[in-house]
Amino acid sequence: MPQAQPVIPNHVPPHLVRDFSYWKTPGMAPTPNGNPQAALSFVHREGPPLFYAPANTYDGRGTWVVTRAEDQRRILQNPEVFSSNRGIFMAALGEDLPMVPLEKDPPDHQMYRALLNPLLSPKRVDAMEAGARERAVRLIEGFKDKGSCEIMNDFAFPFAVGVFLQFLGVSDDRRDEFLGWANDQFHGTLDQRLNAMRTVVNFMKGLIDLRKREPAEDFVGFLLKADVQGRPLTDKEILGIAVLLFEAGLDTVAAAVGFDLYHLARHPDDQQRLRDDRDLIKPAVEEFFRAYSTIQMLRKAVKDYDFDGIMIKAGDLVSCPTMIANRDPAEFPDPDRIDLARDNNRHTAFAYGPHRCLGSHLARRELIIGLEEFLARIPTFRIKQGTAPVTYGGYVFGIENLVLDWT
Amino acid sequence: MIIRVKPNICQGHARCYALAPQIFQLDDSGYILPGDITVPEGQEALALRGVRSCPEKALTVLDGQDAG
Repeated sequence: MPQAQPVIPNHVPPHLVRDFSYWKTPGMAPTPNGNPQAALSFVHREGPPLFYAPANTYDGRGTWVVTRAEDQRRILQNPEVFSSNRGIFMAALGEDLPMVPLEKDPPDHQMYRALLNPLLSPKRVDAMEAGARERAVRLIEGFKDKGSCEIMNDFAFPFAVGVFLQFLGVSDDRRDEFLGWANDQFHGTLDQRLNAMRTVVNFMKGLIDLRKREPAEDFVGFLLKADVQGRPLTDKEILGIAVLLFEAGLDTVAAAVGFDLYHLARHPDDQQRLRDDRDLIKPAVEEFFRAYSTIQMLRKAVKDYDFDGIMIKAGDLVSCPTMIANRDPAEFPDPDRIDLARDNNRHTAFAYGPHRCLGSHLARRELIIGLEEFLARIPTFRIKQGTAPVTYGGYVFGIENLVLDWT
Repeated sequence: MIIRVKPNICQGHARCYALAPQIFQLDDSGYILPGDITVPEGQEALALRGVRSCPEKALTVLDGQDAG
C-alpha cells in the first residue's frame, strides 16, 4: 500500500493541526508495560476538542479527531452526513465487497440490521452462553496446572475464535486454521494481512456454496433463506456479512480479554475485589470496556458540516476514537481512575448511533464468562517475573506477550 | 416516576435492560419497546440508574412526574 503524502486541506485552519497518530503518538508504538488508552487522555487537558491529524490512517491519510463524548454522539448519530461506507476491501484488495451492515448507510442499513439484530440480541446470546462457557472452561483447565500461560495465544484468541466458530456453525476442528488466519490478519505484515483477508473471503465463499448444496439450520443457512424487502440476499451481501463478523468479532474480543487480565494482574486489590464479590464482575467488565476500549469509528463526510464554526468538508475523514471519548472528564468524573463499580457509565466502547456494534451483547457476555471462569479456576495471578507485556495502538489497540504466573 | 422513551434514538445497547429487565422491556431485536414507562413504586433508584446508563441518552425522567 503506497503511503500518501500528508496533505493538509486548505479549509483546515492551521491552528487546529496536531502532530497526532494512532501509530506514532507516544505510547502508540509497541511499548513494554504500556497503557495506550491512558497515553491519549492528554488530548482532554490540552484541547482542542476537534483537531486535524495529517497522517492518521494505516495508509497515511489525514483525519479529523473528535475527542469529546457528546461531540462523538452527534457525529455518530448523524449518518446522513457522516457515512460509514469507506470501501475498506476496495482499498485493500481492489474487491468491491462492502462489509454489511457496517459499510451500509440508512435507509438500507436498517433493513440489514432488522434482519441481523435478532441473531445477536441479548436473549439470543443467552442461548449461546453454555457453549461459550464450556469453551472457556476447557481452555483454562488445559493450562491451569502449568502455573503460567501466555494469555493471548493460550486463552484470549482461542476463546474468541471458538465462540465465533460456534456462532458460524463450523466445526472446532478448524479452530487452529482460523487462528492462523486471524493472527496473520490482525498482527501480520501487510502482505500477510492481505493474504489472510483473501483466505477468509474464499473460506466464506466456500461456506456459502456448501450451504447451498447442503442446507443447514445455521448462520449461513439463515442468510440464504432470508427475505429482505421481498427478495433474497445476494451472495455478495451474505459474504459481506460473514466477513464483517470475522473482521469485527475476533481481534476486538481477544484484546479486551487481554487488557482486562493485564489490569487485574497489575492491580491485585481489584483482582481480590472481584474474587470476593462476583456480582461486581458485570459492572467491572463495563468499566474495563470504558477504560480499555480499543477501536475508533471512522466516518467520511458526504456533505459539508459546520462543527461549531469549523468547516468539515464533504470528503473529509472523521475519526471518533472510543478510548478518547471514554476518558472525557465531562462525561466520566476522574476518567483515568478505574472504578470497578462506576455508575452512570454510558461508555462508547461499542460506538454510538445506528452502527452500534451488532455483536456487542455477545462480546460483553464473552468477557463476563471469561473473567468469571478465569477467576474461579486460577488462583491469584501476576505478570510473570522477567517478562513484560507489550501494548500497542493502531487500528485496533492490543497487547502481546501477556505471560501470567500463579505458582 | 415516568420515563420518556425516545425509540428512534435507542440503538439497542440494552444497558438499561441489563440493570432492570423488569422495567425496561425490549423487542425481539433487542431495542426498547416504544411508549412512556411508569416505574413501579420502590424501583425508582434502579430505574434512574437505567436511565443514566443509556449511551445514546434515549431515556429521560419526565420532570414533575415523580412526586408521590
